[in-house]
Amino acid sequence: MKADRLRRFIDLHAWLGMVSGLALFVAFFAGAINVFHHELHHWQESHHGHEQAAGPADPDHFLQQLISRFPASADRMYFLPDEDPGAMWFQPGEDGAPGEWRTAHASNFAEDGSFTQQPGSELADFVNELHYELGIPGNGGLINIGMTLMGFVAVLYGVALFSGLIIHWPKIRKELFALKHQGNLRRYWKNLHNLIGIISFPFHLIMSVTGAAMGLFTVMAIVLGLLVFGPQLQGVIQKETDVWPPVQSQGETLAMAPMADYLAAANNELPGMDVGWVEIRGYGDAAGWMDVAGSQPGFLGHHVHVVLDNTMKPLRISAPGERTFNFAAISPVYSLHFGDYGGVWVKLLYFAMGLLGSLLFVSGNVLWCERRSDRVGPSRSSAFLLRLTLGLCFGVVSGIAFSFLVSKLLPYTPWAALVASAERQIFWWVLVVLVLWSLRASPLRFSGLWLRIMPFLYLAIPVAQVAVEGSHAWQEPDALLVNLVVVAVAACLWGVRAQFRKRLRLAEPHPLWVGKVTRDHPKHLTETELENQGAS
Amino acid sequence: MRALFGVLLSLPLSMMLMGLAAAWVPVPWNSWLVLQLIIGMLLWMSLSLLVALPEKAWPPLVGLLVANGIVWATLQTTGIYGGAA
Repeated sequence: MKADRLRRFIDLHAWLGMVSGLALFVAFFAGAINVFHHELHHWQESHHGHEQAAGPADPDHFLQQLISRFPASADRMYFLPDEDPGAMWFQPGEDGAPGEWRTAHASNFAEDGSFTQQPGSELADFVNELHYELGIPGNGGLINIGMTLMGFVAVLYGVALFSGLIIHWPKIRKELFALKHQGNLRRYWKNLHNLIGIISFPFHLIMSVTGAAMGLFTVMAIVLGLLVFGPQLQGVIQKETDVWPPVQSQGETLAMAPMADYLAAANNELPGMDVGWVEIRGYGDAAGWMDVAGSQPGFLGHHVHVVLDNTMKPLRISAPGERTFNFAAISPVYSLHFGDYGGVWVKLLYFAMGLLGSLLFVSGNVLWCERRSDRVGPSRSSAFLLRLTLGLCFGVVSGIAFSFLVSKLLPYTPWAALVASAERQIFWWVLVVLVLWSLRASPLRFSGLWLRIMPFLYLAIPVAQVAVEGSHAWQEPDALLVNLVVVAVAACLWGVRAQFRKRLRLAEPHPLWVGKVTRDHPKHLTETELENQGAS
Repeated sequence: MRALFGVLLSLPLSMMLMGLAAAWVPVPWNSWLVLQLIIGMLLWMSLSLLVALPEKAWPPLVGLLVANGIVWATLQTTGIYGGAA
C-alpha cells in the first residue's frame, strides 16, 4: 500500500479511536463486570435483618397477592420463577402522571396481603446502564439517547477496527510477538495496543456489530421505513419479533392452573429447556397467554419460547431448528454479545476480553496523544486529552469500586434506605473529582498514585462483604464468583501498575507525561511510516 | 471531518442497498429483516472506510452523495416502498 494512503488509514483509525475510545472504555470495563449480571444481582442482596425463609415461596399465592394489590400487573408481567418468586410489570401513573416499570417479590408480601418494599441495592442495574447507555437516563421516548449514542460509537469502533486491520495486516505475524521492553514508553504502549488488537480482533468485531445492531435498531428501522419500506415497516417489525400477538380480551375470565403446571407443559413441549422467565399476558383472561422463555443449552442461538394459552394449549414453539429466520438471526446477536451460550468458562473469557479491550482503548488514546505531540510539537489538545483519558479511566474504575462498597456497606447503617441512590451518586462524584484532579496534576504522578490505590479498592470489596455478611461471601456460589471476579480485577490492576513501574525504571517517560514538551522536542514517525519511508 | 461525513452519508446508502437486495432476492423481504439490518450494519462500516482511500476529501463524499441519489432512484423502480410484505 502507498505510504500516503497508509497514513490516511492510520489517521482515520486514530481519529475514530480517539472519538469513541473513552465511551468504549466505560462500556468495556462495565461490560466486563456485567458479564456476571445475574450473579451480581444475587451478590447485591443484603442479608441485614432478613430472616431465613422456611422454604420456597408459593408462586401462585404470590401471583394472587400481586394482582389483587396491583391489578395492572395482570395485563402484562414478567414472572421470575425462583425460591423467592418475582415479577416486573408496568404500573400506569395516577392522574396523568407517567407510569413506571416496577418489581416485586413474594417476600414483599405479608400473610395478610400487605405489601412492603424495602429499598435495596440496584448495583447490577447501574453497572448494566453504564455499559449500554453510559449511565445517561433514557427519556422514555422513541429513542433512548444513551443507547443510541453507544450504537453510533459502536459503528465508529467497527470502522476503526477495519482500518486497524488494513494497517496491520501486512505485518501481523511480526507484531504478534513484538511486545518489546526496550525503547521509550510509547513503543511499549504501541506494541501492547497492537498485540491486544490482533489477539482479540474477532471478539471486537462481534462486539461492534452486535452492539451497533442493538444500540441503533430503532434508528435503522426509522431510516429503513423512511427510505425503503415505507410506514408499514413498524407493524411488520412488531409482527416478526413478537412471540405472539397482544391479547384481544372479550372480558371472559378463566380459572388459572398452578404455575408449576404451565412450566411442566412448556417442558413437555421442549424437553430440557432451562426456564428464565415467563411473560404473562392477560392473567385469568380466557384470551390470555403465557410465553415460557428460557434457553436450550448446547446451541449458540439458545433462546427458546413456548407460548401457551391459559388452558395450557401450545400456541407456538420457537427453538433451534423450529423458528422463523428472523428469530434464528436475532438469537445469536444477543448470545454473542452477552456471552451466555457456553457456561462459566465462556463468561470468564468474555470478562478477560472485556478488560483487555479497556486496556486497548486507554493505550490507543495514549498513543494518539504522544504521536500528535511528537509530530506537531507541543500541543494543549494532546496534553488535555491525555489527562482527560487518565482521569476518566481511573475515575470509572475507582467509581465502580466505590459503588460496590456502598452497595454492600450502606444497608448496615442508618442510611440503608438511600443505598440505590448513594451507589450511583458516589460513582459520579468519584468520576468528577478524579477527572478534575487529573486535569491539574502531573499525569505521571497521578497515574502512579491511582494505580497503587485502585487494586486495594477492589480487594476491599470481598473484605467488606466478609466483614458484614460473614460466610455468605464464600458459601453462596454467585457471591463467591463475583468476589473472585473483583479479586481478578484487583490482580489485573496490580499487573498494570507493575508494568507501569517497570517502564519507569527502564526508560525515560514521554515528555507529555511530565509536562516537559518544548518546541525543541524531536518529531517522531511511527514504525510503519519509518518502514515505508525506508522502502520508498 | 471527512470520516464524520462519510459515516453519515453511508448510513442511508447502506440501508437503501439492503432495500435493493430485498427487492431482488426472491423471498419475502419481511422474512429476513433482521439479517438485512445486520448486513446493512457491516455495509455501513465498510462504506465509511472508503472515505480514507482517495487523497482529497471531497471525491469520496461527493461519490457517496451521488450513490445515494442513484440508489434512491433505482429503489423507486421497484415496488418495495409501501408494498405488501
